Amino acid sequence: MLEQAVIYTFVALVLIGGFMAAFSRQILYAIIGLGISLLGLAGLFLNLGSPFVAAMQVLIYIGGITVAIVFAMMLSIAMSIRPPDPDTRKLGFAIACAVIFFGAVAHLIRGAQFQEIASPASEKAWSVGALGHALLTHYNVVFETLSLVLLLAIIGAILIARKAST
Amino acid sequence: MTLDSYLLVGAALFSLGLIGALSHRNLIALLIGIELMMNAASLNLMAFNRFVVTDPTTGQIFVLIIIGLAAAEVAIFLSIILRIYRAYHDIDAEKLTKLSG
Repeated sequence: MLEQAVIYTFVALVLIGGFMAAFSRQILYAIIGLGISLLGLAGLFLNLGSPFVAAMQVLIYIGGITVAIVFAMMLSIAMSIRPPDPDTRKLGFAIACAVIFFGAVAHLIRGAQFQEIASPASEKAWSVGALGHALLTHYNVVFETLSLVLLLAIIGAILIARKAST
Repeated sequence: MTLDSYLLVGAALFSLGLIGALSHRNLIALLIGIELMMNAASLNLMAFNRFVVTDPTTGQIFVLIIIGLAAAEVAIFLSIILRIYRAYHDIDAEKLTKLSG
């Protein structure tokens, strides 16, 4: 009972944050909504049996990406700039697209027959140890490639954002 | 919660991200919409990982890779936003029309 309440709280966080992020005209509120949504998502990951991914979600997304977006916002647009008037035609188009998408996907989900496994895998297969072992053996190439991509992204970001030398 | 309800939450989050990405003209708001859609995808992966896949490390590693790639993407996107702001003194997506002649 309590568990259900906690899960629905997380779902509510995800959706409320998503609404804030999608409909807010003030960028700062949209970023706060994104943070709330990501926090709820981390809770859902925890509930889906993966504390490590939930921790990474909080550390990287909320601690890193959200803060980086706030920094970029403060460096680019002054906080005092008035947000542009809402473009109702565009908003209506976007909402129509989203409703059609959601309806189609919900219809597909209701009709789909997933082969669900009877019971979740053993405690050992879900452990962080198993995750680290797989990351360094079977998924080694992916892991190394990802680190290379991150390095290139850092170098590229510095090169793009630096002031042109005069 | 069952697999279906997780997938529905993921679809709802994706739709909200779609609204955010389609209705705003501010580049940072576009980025926020894209991030929401990416997270909806990771939620779906984690749900399938819990309910359908027999080896649970697969989906977790997939989601970790998505998080890493999102970090790289945001770094590049934000540096491009700063560059655009320096050139145009605005980050309105509809004013970036220098190439359209």
